[in-house]
Amino acid sequence: MNPLVYYQVVAVLLLGLGLYALVARRTLVGMLIGVELMLNGAGLSIVAAAQLTPADAVLGQLGALLVMGLAAAEATLVLAIVLVVSKRFGDASADAPSELKG
Amino acid sequence: MNELYLGQFAFAFYTLIVLAGGVLAVSSASLVRAMLGLVVSLFGVAGLYLLLLAEFVALMQILIYVGAVTVLIFFAIMLTRASADGGEAEGLSGAGVLRAVPIVLIPAGILVPFLAVYGVAGLPTPKNVSPAELGAGLLGPYTLAFELISVVLLAAMAGAVLLAFEKRGAKS
Repeated sequence: MNPLVYYQVVAVLLLGLGLYALVARRTLVGMLIGVELMLNGAGLSIVAAAQLTPADAVLGQLGALLVMGLAAAEATLVLAIVLVVSKRFGDASADAPSELKG
Repeated sequence: MNELYLGQFAFAFYTLIVLAGGVLAVSSASLVRAMLGLVVSLFGVAGLYLLLLAEFVALMQILIYVGAVTVLIFFAIMLTRASADGGEAEGLSGAGVLRAVPIVLIPAGILVPFLAVYGVAGLPTPKNVSPAELGAGLLGPYTLAFELISVVLLAAMAGAVLLAFEKRGAKS
């Protein structure tokens, strides 16, 4: 076992924790926390693969920075969506917006 | 030899922080406590970046994730006027946990054996890249990605403002 595999295993564990939160949580904010954990695992995996193999290290680090930018954009949009859902349905649980009109 | 043991100890320490924070983030009944766990986990990942000699990424992790994204999520908890438990007071439902466990085990059960068998033999020590080289990369071959992420952020901000200012009386 070399160091790269250990870092990748930590990234897989973060992915698993995020998936667990995404499925098991009731509220939209709890699910968002799971998504952030998964994106962190992705960034860790990218940086480890770039730093510990002969691949281009600059590309890997910039890729991780882009993942962070995407996470920030995604968190902004989810904040707005949570606001709209809680305004219209009274609470921010994932089950609230499940009824169709009509 | 001594440095090697020190590095392994640091890796185990940061991994412990990451996992402890992550478990708190996914299992806590209170959303505010879950956010605290997420912050701890993010700091642990920043420590792992430092171990990988990616100190610029580690700083950005603390600035962007811990500084900005976490505050945004705290705003989401606050503005939905949820109580401190944020609607998770009943805890995780039994059916939800039952559904979640196989969903975690399937990707982990596929990826970890693949890593163990086909894992690439990496370098023993990480490479050292200065922030100046990162800047040169952003202004050189990766300019398009840099500009595109700016456009994505602008679109996300504009969309968020548009959604949040929706008229309350508007029936739709």
